Amino acid sequence: MQLVIKRTRRKQRTPVRSDRRRGLKLTSVLLCYLLSLLGLTACGDNENNVVSGNRQQILHWGNGTEPQELDPHIVTGVPEHHIITALLEGLVLKDPQTLEPIPGVAERWVISDDGLVYTFHLRDNARWSNGDPVTAEDFVWSWWRALQPALGNQYAYMYYAIKNAEAYAQGKIKDFDQVGAVALDERTLQVTLANPTPYFLQLLDHYSMFPVHRPTIEKFGEPAERGTRWTRAGNFVGNGAFVLKLWSLNKVVIVEKNSGYWDSDNVKLNSIYFYPTENVSTEERMFRAGQLHVTGSIPADKIAVYKKERPEDLRIAPYLGTYFYRFNTTVPHLSDPRVRRALAMTINRKQIVERVTKGGQLPAYTYTPPDTLGYTARDGFSFDPEAARALLAEAGYPDGDGFPQTEILYNTSEGHRKLAVAIQQMWKKNLNIDVILNNQDWKVYLDNVDNGHYQIARAGWIGDYVDPNTFLDMWVSNGGNNRTGWANSDYDTLVLKQSPTAPSRDARYQAFKEAEATLLAEMPILPIYFYTRNNLVRPSVKGMPANLLDYTLYKNIYLQAALPEQVE
Amino acid sequence: MSTDATLANITDAEQGSSLWKDAWHRLRKNKMAVGGLFVLMLMCIAALLTPWLAPYSYEEQNLILGAAPPSAQHWLGTDTLGRDLLTRLLYGGRISLAVGFIATAVALLIGVLYGTVAGYFGGRIDAVMMRLVDILYALPFMIFIILLMVIFGRNILLLFLAIGAVEWLTMARIVRGQVQTLRQQEFVEAAVSLGLSQWTIISRHLIPNTLGPVIVYTTLTIPSVMLFEAFLSFLGLGIQPPQSSWGLLISYGVETMEEYPWLLIFPGLALSITLFALNFLGDGLRDALDPRTSKD
Repeated sequence: MQLVIKRTRRKQRTPVRSDRRRGLKLTSVLLCYLLSLLGLTACGDNENNVVSGNRQQILHWGNGTEPQELDPHIVTGVPEHHIITALLEGLVLKDPQTLEPIPGVAERWVISDDGLVYTFHLRDNARWSNGDPVTAEDFVWSWWRALQPALGNQYAYMYYAIKNAEAYAQGKIKDFDQVGAVALDERTLQVTLANPTPYFLQLLDHYSMFPVHRPTIEKFGEPAERGTRWTRAGNFVGNGAFVLKLWSLNKVVIVEKNSGYWDSDNVKLNSIYFYPTENVSTEERMFRAGQLHVTGSIPADKIAVYKKERPEDLRIAPYLGTYFYRFNTTVPHLSDPRVRRALAMTINRKQIVERVTKGGQLPAYTYTPPDTLGYTARDGFSFDPEAARALLAEAGYPDGDGFPQTEILYNTSEGHRKLAVAIQQMWKKNLNIDVILNNQDWKVYLDNVDNGHYQIARAGWIGDYVDPNTFLDMWVSNGGNNRTGWANSDYDTLVLKQSPTAPSRDARYQAFKEAEATLLAEMPILPIYFYTRNNLVRPSVKGMPANLLDYTLYKNIYLQAALPEQVE
Repeated sequence: MSTDATLANITDAEQGSSLWKDAWHRLRKNKMAVGGLFVLMLMCIAALLTPWLAPYSYEEQNLILGAAPPSAQHWLGTDTLGRDLLTRLLYGGRISLAVGFIATAVALLIGVLYGTVAGYFGGRIDAVMMRLVDILYALPFMIFIILLMVIFGRNILLLFLAIGAVEWLTMARIVRGQVQTLRQQEFVEAAVSLGLSQWTIISRHLIPNTLGPVIVYTTLTIPSVMLFEAFLSFLGLGIQPPQSSWGLLISYGVETMEEYPWLLIFPGLALSITLFALNFLGDGLRDALDPRTSKD
């Protein structure tokens, strides 16, 4: 019986028809998918983030990646920088146009004639977001915290301009009172430097020297404890123009205007949304769909399109930064400078900047970008596969024979991947060596690089201030941002001893030049190109001039749409 | 001579036709299925002969050329690093087809055996076995795969097996349900009363009867496995550049689909043609293998 019933049912629908129906359905699903990709906003409501943001003064910011932390004495990245500068404020700020120091928490300061003693007068109305006044003691305590070895602050060396800070950070002196930072009274902070440091005021605007709120930190753990909950929304107490409203992991970080901020009358934005936009193509689509005012970057292949079709959205500006690869010099085969030089000499940087990155970047044959405050280093190497092969043979790997498997580590991003694939092939072609690629999430990647769990790792360095020192002092032995295991005492002497005490700028730059020549001869790093800042900015975003450091003073920004924003 | 001929005729008539022979006979009548089979065979041959067919090396870059549309030199164009897309598609096909077939075969083997045993024996055995499946279901696939990768390192073959090892769960459930209804039926009782061993009943009578849904599900597993591989590779857990697979080519193609549409279109076509072929073939096979269809 059963068999018969089944057979009649089968006959009712012939297989061919069912095939066709399924085919049609599949096609229509595919079509819908494609259309939705192309149309993007076609199905959404009319008001997107940009339009509503313009009306409510809410800035939507593509921040590149999820922040590792929001503790200014722990983080090292640019995405974190963008958020922290909204939440905290140092003694001085920078003019976003000229990058000259302007008053921040300190309303004025006096510099002694020998350039060694800085006296900062803090403003009366500087307040933490919980209402506490910001005092000179807050700075002293914060700096003490930042120098605690247990905290593992990779930017501790930023303090070394201050007298005895280096000795304290390295445990040579135990008494913080000997360090040149003293609160003379509640509103007066006196800082004594080890040597006259022309860029000292610029350092103060770096997040590693920002104050933190002592009672909050002590409430959630030890002062020098990493990863406590004080940086979570609701706990965070800051002194910046904005307060942390929400930190939703991998979704958004929202900051809101801080009504207790001393200059809050001049803060025009009501809030800023920072999105972790790891995938640059997605970010670009979000921008086009009106979800973002500002992007972190732009896909290389899109630059030409924007130049032609929407030049008003595209921003290409010089940027004080270098894209490079770190070598882990503790890995046996990479500990040989000849191998490192051979690898550096077989990358055709000209092709890379013209054909892969395509954003007006410059090929890098030095580490410090050329003409950094008048300083230009000599090229340390050139593209020379022939010589590179000879070097590699000398190091014991003729024609790449026996070269151990090597891995390039990069944080997940289409741009880094493309570049790594190009370099992988150049090494294969020119040196006949095989490297494998490995990509990791930003936090994991940072952890692994910090702990030396890598062989070759992609990196980028953006100057923290405009001075060659910001590029060169990171490579001193055991420097927090060195992370290559490379140590060279000549280099240390030149950067830490000779350059700070140099009598003139020429003499100082001469010391830097020698140091950089040492660095490039030993090559613990492999410079690839000098950055340009390429991103997309809506025309309605005002008060955000481009500058060398990509420095943003959020309190100056406001949103004003001249015409209804054009959205595809 | 004449006796020989008659003998041969007799054997022919008495040999009867096996399940497979019948199935093949029925399959041949289904034009779509034959077309699907043909396309699949073509794909497999192309994958096997790739090293001889491919016009270029899959990692050879030509940065000067960059992304170029299809031309006489590069039939399907080149990608943003100037690599020949046809070559990469052929090599990618090898990996995609291999992962699709191997992982599905693993899933099929484990899932069908497991499901049949659970369904046939029922009772406590069934309860224990299916609860184990439930537990495995609750394990996030990603974490399981990441664990495997961490323990055994990155290895393409392992990736295939690992995907298969997580894909068999649904198969086991489907088969178990089928077997549970089948074992109530008269033909199983007949087999039992004829004194056949349990293994013979399972392999001769139960498994062939479950083939319909199994095949349909298999044709759905292969594409999902291919996409799963692309996903893993994209996260850095699967295959790594410069190697590629269709899924990866597509995910990269999507990123630049407005500037260089051919980078999305051709890998997309390759994948969809394969999937259509698989679907048609699966449909045909289901009809052909259904023992309930009468012999013509």
